[in-house]
Amino acid sequence: MFKQLSVAFLLAVSSLHAQSAALMGFEDSYMLMTETGEYNQEVMFNYAPSIHHAFGIEVMRMSPKGMRATTMTGINYTGLVKRWNLPSAQANIWVMGSVGEARGMHNGFSYSPSVQFDYETTRLYFLAKMRMVRAPGMNNDTAAIQGGFSFYEADFDETQPWFVLEAKTIQNYNPSFQVTPALRFINKNYFLEFGVTNPFDKSDRAPRLNLMFTY
Amino acid sequence: MKKILFILFCLLTSPVVLAATSIKAEVNGMVCAFCAKGIEKKLNAMPEGQGAFVDLKRRIVVLELKPQQDVPLDAFTQVIKDAGYAVSKVEKVEQSIVEIKTSIKASTKGQ
Repeated sequence: MFKQLSVAFLLAVSSLHAQSAALMGFEDSYMLMTETGEYNQEVMFNYAPSIHHAFGIEVMRMSPKGMRATTMTGINYTGLVKRWNLPSAQANIWVMGSVGEARGMHNGFSYSPSVQFDYETTRLYFLAKMRMVRAPGMNNDTAAIQGGFSFYEADFDETQPWFVLEAKTIQNYNPSFQVTPALRFINKNYFLEFGVTNPFDKSDRAPRLNLMFTY
Repeated sequence: MKKILFILFCLLTSPVVLAATSIKAEVNGMVCAFCAKGIEKKLNAMPEGQGAFVDLKRRIVVLELKPQQDVPLDAFTQVIKDAGYAVSKVEKVEQSIVEIKTSIKASTKGQ
């Protein structure tokens, strides 16, 4: 019984993952994003001088199962290409890019451009993202989609819980296909996500925690 | 003389004279807490305002003006646009933020 409850709890709280739709804060804001999981660890900090641009630094560690990890450190740029403000929704196209240095399994110049589309209402959320992750001898290009819903609408100063499901493929990686259900909590200027990657696969199952803070 | 003073007192303390003025807008695209936070920050930075209120559920933002202060509606709309959102309706109302919150609560209860 305890085991079943534990599994149910793990699945319910499961998988933390991901980014929010917003890849940067508002004008004159700072944003800190972190992801901690078995297969990927990332810290990103940026400053947005306007609503269209943000500049920052990023450290990303790719740690595929059974292989030596590669850590990429660099500077990054986030740009809002287009935003649609609808009566009860918002949609965006973003471009991002980072350049830096890879160390570990692969060494040398690293670069990681990406493009993202997202659509969000106060209750629903969808995101599609493609990202190149390259360094000498390394190609971990990634494609991901996310969808989610909030359990209820919340006021601005209340915590709003979301359920988010992500499917991601990563080239030349193990596991190359990752599904992560997650619970996300958003409150004013921070969000926290907790999930489990590949929860139904004993050998790949791994918890993941994402945090974001904007001020 | 006493009568004049009495009339002046009544005028100065009447609800019409003391009523606060606020700018109230409906905002398109304001669907997340981070969006609302950005708008709130912009409004709080306006020197003519003495308080801002964001209602995420109803997509309403309010700036309560200081006494004897004014902000043209198109200037207010531009502030929201600069924050990255669109205004679908904007108006001045003779209500404080507290009164607007109370009326929202009342209308919610009535539903």
